[in-house]
Amino acid sequence: MIGIHDAVVEECATGVPLGAYAGADAANYLFLRASGAYAHSHPLGSERRLRAVSATVPLFSWDEREMAQDWDVRFDGLPDERPLHARDGVMPAAHVVHGEGVMQFVVGPVHAGIIEPGRFTFSSGGETIVHLDAQLGYAHRGVERALGGLLPLDAARKVARICGGCSASRSFAYARAIEALADFAPEQPVDLARLILAELERIYNHLADLAASAAGAAYVVGFTRGMTLKERVMRLCHATAGHRLLFDAIAPGGLGRPVLEDRPGFAAELAALERDVNAYLGTLFGNASMISRWERAGILSQSTAKFHGAVGPALRGSGGLHDVRTFAPYGAYRWLPPVVASATSGDSLARCAVKRDELRESFSLIVRALSALGESAIAPQRSLQAQPGIAYGVVEGPRGTECVAVHVDNDGKLERVHVIAASYRNWPLVTLAMKGNIVPDFPLVNKSFNLCYACADR
Amino acid sequence: MSTYGTSLAIRHLVCGSCNGCEHEMNALGNAFYDITREGWDITASPRHADVVTVTGPMTEGMRAAARATLEAVPQPSIVVAIGDCAAGEGPWHGPPVGDGAGVELEAGVTVRGCPPTPDDIRAGLRRAAELLDAASGSGRRTPL
Repeated sequence: MIGIHDAVVEECATGVPLGAYAGADAANYLFLRASGAYAHSHPLGSERRLRAVSATVPLFSWDEREMAQDWDVRFDGLPDERPLHARDGVMPAAHVVHGEGVMQFVVGPVHAGIIEPGRFTFSSGGETIVHLDAQLGYAHRGVERALGGLLPLDAARKVARICGGCSASRSFAYARAIEALADFAPEQPVDLARLILAELERIYNHLADLAASAAGAAYVVGFTRGMTLKERVMRLCHATAGHRLLFDAIAPGGLGRPVLEDRPGFAAELAALERDVNAYLGTLFGNASMISRWERAGILSQSTAKFHGAVGPALRGSGGLHDVRTFAPYGAYRWLPPVVASATSGDSLARCAVKRDELRESFSLIVRALSALGESAIAPQRSLQAQPGIAYGVVEGPRGTECVAVHVDNDGKLERVHVIAASYRNWPLVTLAMKGNIVPDFPLVNKSFNLCYACADR
Repeated sequence: MSTYGTSLAIRHLVCGSCNGCEHEMNALGNAFYDITREGWDITASPRHADVVTVTGPMTEGMRAAARATLEAVPQPSIVVAIGDCAAGEGPWHGPPVGDGAGVELEAGVTVRGCPPTPDDIRAGLRRAAELLDAASGSGRRTPL
């Protein structure tokens, strides 16, 4: 059976590919257009056999490996047939390179710092990395099966806890999907509040990423000041939305709890933070040693980024301009579009510069949203009834495109939920960016991406 | 005589958390909480650790690595469960996820929260330091 290989390959020329997943009956390949997300679906029948699209379009590699491991799809021509996560308690073996003068060494899954679990197997010749195998999946919790059968509103609390650092974005994407099925559109103040929360999440993540990248270069001032600012943003999140990581603040039907009740106080701390963040960025990007470490480290070429489906700052650091907030605008971004940051060199400096520019733009967006919000009341959460059907929620999270696919059955329960995280798309690119770099640059380059494991592993 | 005082070498072990607890564990190192003032440090190797902080529900992939990590820790030591998942009260249950990393690894102290605040984690670590100090003072050399 040919499946939908040709149709999907053809669609890649017009739509932006998001990812692929299987359910009980069909395989679905998702794309995004300005008008929204849509699927090319193919019934799996009893044979559940498809021609692997990843043989032609490598960005679907993880998706198809996952479909094979967890959803019993049999692929013809799958380039990498290893499972994605543990099978019967055993993790897949690493791909390594052998040769004269090439040695292998393994880092993880338990790391030296306070970091999520992953196993990195380096094949190196001297200091130069010949090949890097990143084995994720250690944080695989079977999230998608655990969500099956739940009522959509009951599942919201769990969806918010798939990844701590992307909670607001994921809840936003999930809310958009449920609201599409409930034929509900939030009022303008709710949209504005959601924009503010989503940008706060971007701010604390980008600050942590830049700080961690500075730590990768042993630049202690860059690390310490960045983490101090991140703490202040987390405290602002708690003060304005009741949770330091914004858990449950965005929910289907509006906001999960009252937010932005003290707007003058919020605006004052935001202004102080903006001033201090700008001073920090001036110091960080004015440090010649830091710039010299970032430059030419971990280059992701523009063609590789596009061909392998990079998203977010990883794409925009390699010449891309795609940002869901402007490409397929949603919520308050429809009338408050950000200026999209971009750089062309594809190295760690480019990714960090994109995050620097996005930080500044996030503050600007929040200020504009606060002004538009004025003293308007934010409606309490509405109780929604999702109708049977399929919907896709797509938003721009800190690390790029965040998509949640939701299937609601005739009983009004979740039949299938699939999460396509920006980190899931970008992880394979970290290994490609490391090729030819020296081993000591790995922490620096890795943190210039700073991807989530929990997001990708689910 | 007290061997440990209240100083601690802490090794952190992630067993499938959402990374929320790690955000708060990392916050312990920022200028607001700065746990080095307590005589505490995050150690890179379990062989230097007095305390192993664990998070997450315990995934299939992490079970063997978690056991190996604990076996490398010298005694006396104590496991501190951080967060609702590790306490067995998180959002994920059933295969391939276990009963909570803190439950499976027999934590001596449990800090609840989703995630717990840095202050809550610090309070849990202080309790661990007291328990360790009492254990070493009485000459005990078995896991708590």
